[in-house]
Amino acid sequence: MHLLKHRRNRALGVLAAVLVMSALVVAGCSTSLPTAGNVDNKAAKSLEDKGVRIIDVRTVAEFEAGHIPDAENVPLDQLADAMGSWKPADPILVYCATGSRSVEAMRMLVAAGFTSVFNLRDGIVAWDGDISAGPGGAVAGSLPPVASGLPVLYEFYTDW
Amino acid sequence: MKPVVDGLKKEYEGKVEFRLYDVEKDAEGAKLAKQLGAKFVPTFEFVNSDGTIAKEIIGEVSEAQLREQLDALK
Repeated sequence: MHLLKHRRNRALGVLAAVLVMSALVVAGCSTSLPTAGNVDNKAAKSLEDKGVRIIDVRTVAEFEAGHIPDAENVPLDQLADAMGSWKPADPILVYCATGSRSVEAMRMLVAAGFTSVFNLRDGIVAWDGDISAGPGGAVAGSLPPVASGLPVLYEFYTDW
Repeated sequence: MKPVVDGLKKEYEGKVEFRLYDVEKDAEGAKLAKQLGAKFVPTFEFVNSDGTIAKEIIGEVSEAQLREQLDALK
């Protein structure tokens, strides 16, 4: 009975050791393996602090209205051309308004051989870091009443 | 988001005017968005009949949130 218990404990010990070693091997390799994926604001700020290239894939008008400082504006439809002049080994953080277009940008970059691509998961809408505003001028606090004399709901959107 | 807004547009006909702008295709909408300081899409601006902006919501919203703001407009 004792022998059986001893063997079982030994087997469990070996299994645990194998698992720990496997984890160490994976962790060791992960620094050299390609990395890509969604990141939250905190991780994105860390990348920003490291001086990672930041690409805003929204339209020029959206970019000019406000963007992450030091971001470059490369609208999604121009990304394929622009990435040709970038080094595939350089890390890149992509973002858009809500994280939809930039997921596509991330896929394009990874497919093109870029090895460290990160997507700001929830986009600039949820970004709580600094924003550089473009030349916008004064922001209106009210609008002229409309001809119908009714209250108005304005929705500004894009289809993508 | 569009089906929800379209449904509400019909429901609030005669009570609230709906003005929906695709800022990538509609120059007037892009200009208006800039004037209002709307930096992101989607952005909803709820404006009272006297032109004062009652509320701004950025990002996706629920139908209940939209209804609440629409009902609060004067």
